[in-house]
Amino acid sequence: MTSYTICVFTENTIGILNKITTIFTRRRINIESLTVSETERKGISRFTIVIRHESRDAVEKLVRQIRKIIEVLAVFGYLNEDIAYNEIALFKVSTPIGAKPLDIETINKTYKAWVVYWHLTYVIIQKTGTEEEIFEFFDYIKPHEILEFVRSGRVAVSKSPQTLVDYLPEAEWEYYQ
Amino acid sequence: MGFNENQTATIQGSEPVVSVAKPELINGSHAVIQSLIAEGVKTIFGYPGGAIMPVYDAIYDYQDQVNHILVRHEQGAAHAAEGFARITGEVGVCLVTSGPGATNLVTGIADAIIDSTPMVCIIGQVASHLLGTDAFQETDVMGITIPITKWNYQITNADEIPEIIAKAFYIAKSGRPGPVLIDITKDAQQKLMTKPFVHKKTEKLLSYHPRLSPKEEQLAAAAKLINQAKRPFLFVGHGVQIAGAEQELIKFIEKTDIPAASTLLGLSSMSVDHPNYMGWLGMHGNYGTNVLTNQCDLIIAVGMRFDDRVTGDLSRYAKQAKVVHIEIDPAEIDKIVKADAPVVGDAKIALEMLLPLVNENNHEAWKAEFKKYDLIEDEKITQPELAPTTEKIKMAEVIRTLSDKTKGEAVIVADVGQHQMMTARYYQFKKPSSFITSGGLGTMGYALPASFGAKVGAPDREVVAMIGDGCFQMTIQELGTIAQSGLPVKIIILNNNFLGMVRQWQQLFHQKRYSFVELQNPDFITIAKGFGINGHTCAKREDLHASLDTMLASDKPYLLEVLVEKEENVFPMVPTGACVADIRLE
Repeated sequence: MTSYTICVFTENTIGILNKITTIFTRRRINIESLTVSETERKGISRFTIVIRHESRDAVEKLVRQIRKIIEVLAVFGYLNEDIAYNEIALFKVSTPIGAKPLDIETINKTYKAWVVYWHLTYVIIQKTGTEEEIFEFFDYIKPHEILEFVRSGRVAVSKSPQTLVDYLPEAEWEYYQ
Repeated sequence: MGFNENQTATIQGSEPVVSVAKPELINGSHAVIQSLIAEGVKTIFGYPGGAIMPVYDAIYDYQDQVNHILVRHEQGAAHAAEGFARITGEVGVCLVTSGPGATNLVTGIADAIIDSTPMVCIIGQVASHLLGTDAFQETDVMGITIPITKWNYQITNADEIPEIIAKAFYIAKSGRPGPVLIDITKDAQQKLMTKPFVHKKTEKLLSYHPRLSPKEEQLAAAAKLINQAKRPFLFVGHGVQIAGAEQELIKFIEKTDIPAASTLLGLSSMSVDHPNYMGWLGMHGNYGTNVLTNQCDLIIAVGMRFDDRVTGDLSRYAKQAKVVHIEIDPAEIDKIVKADAPVVGDAKIALEMLLPLVNENNHEAWKAEFKKYDLIEDEKITQPELAPTTEKIKMAEVIRTLSDKTKGEAVIVADVGQHQMMTARYYQFKKPSSFITSGGLGTMGYALPASFGAKVGAPDREVVAMIGDGCFQMTIQELGTIAQSGLPVKIIILNNNFLGMVRQWQQLFHQKRYSFVELQNPDFITIAKGFGINGHTCAKREDLHASLDTMLASDKPYLLEVLVEKEENVFPMVPTGACVADIRLE
């Protein structure tokens, strides 16, 4: 199974998410993570969708089907080496009185994670990184009892110098400044 | 007359003395109808109901400009719009209400997307403040139709109507055509627009750019393969008819002398009389065309998508051949069969541009190979079907006799099943745009409504619906539409008292366990008479010619029921999972 990151640029209208996901479900492809936000251009949304699949061919077909959605401006499928990517995770970790204290220095220096909220009996730690880095930290902090753990979807940009405008020179971009 | 942009006030019975050219604001419903008129719509297939009543109130004022055909079930509206679109190449229009009106349309929309048929469906929706409240006749039409529409959109503001309808028509018809659904809330239909009505046709969209002219390098690569090929084979798909590329196709074929075969929906794009026409492809296609698919060295696929009914077992499909795939939808390239030379573009433009790049050629010996298989098929299947020694009438005789009587120039609308395959086999199509059937979805009940849709689109052509007794009962109520509209379609029921194709499979693959395929049918002629439609039952071979003559001579709708052999099978056949070369003759 290879991890693929699919970036979908769309017009920001109601129901686009549904139009995109139906293409995955019909082909029985599970979405590992999904992040949506407006791009540097007003009215244009960017979907970052991570899937795992054994067949590059199937992923290419998927990308071409997504492109058929009328509101979709462009779709790009990437392997991990093609992109700079990151995720964010929050850990609520138990710190009861009398328990072994957290090693804040290691958390900060080794794991580049930060405590963002202190409570009497727990702390909330924020960790940014790749999926692997987040799970390394997960394993490290696990002995302290993780009360809650949440991980965002992946955000990714391509390492290529080309931008959306380069791919779609015919589009009337002044409308979306 | 309805509201107009520039209404002139007059004093009755005298010359106009006051002339006011003040632009009047119109409501959403009038905007819907005026937009449809601006898009050139002359016929709407529809059915009224609560949430679409404001539009129906408006349409009352435009009856001199728009012909509304009242169907008997919304599925009929969808198939009629498809029939109209398939024969004219124009967008078919449906108008229905929310909830059940919309869900009844769903089968037709699904049929239209898979058979690339341009259609705009305008649906009423509950008022916007009721959305999501489970209001009376509210259903999530947007959610339901996402996977089966080329585009769908919900309008909650009257001001959006002209722009969205213009966009809908552009999307439905351009590129690879398909159905578009516009869901309009009742308040958007009722409210006045806040600005004067202006309808401007959509010419391009930011995010949608169908490519019509292929890239030069793709054409060059395709031409190279075509010029090198020793045993090239061209497949005529539905895209040829959609693009109106029939003449370009013939020029291309005559220059290169490449033998050609048609897919089901490609039928009639090339006359059966053309010396390079070798027959049709697929599960019940011809013997030679299927076998030689696995012996050619190049496939040139024009506007087709390698449906599984064409390819049979993919792992043994044309592995020896290179593939040139001319196709307007880039998502079809490499979807099923890898293309060595993809050509993305409109079939007409692609063939036109390809013509100067290909060499004149002669493929006599290669074409003669098809003839060898034809002789075998003719002896084993075609002749026994056409000149049977058995007592009961065979479907093939009916279809071939009809074909001869109409000189192969009628519009034939076939439903789904054995009679459909028999029609494709035995009607001798000689004129383009003559065959309409539900290919991709295989929708039983398609033909009756599609036939009157086609008749609206081609009033000067003879339109004959070929329907099985099972299919007929799925949309039988549309006889009412035919009677009321007076559209003189001719209906032939090939009645074998069976769901014939399912019975055939049960015979061949389920040890003749006939599970729920035998029908106790009503008296179809009495039913037709009840609708005010004349009819006749033909039970004997001696009566066949006279029955067809009477039917064709009628200037009114007419129903001819032909009692055919009960347990007839369609051959040749490529069974599911078999390879095209292993096509069965018995």
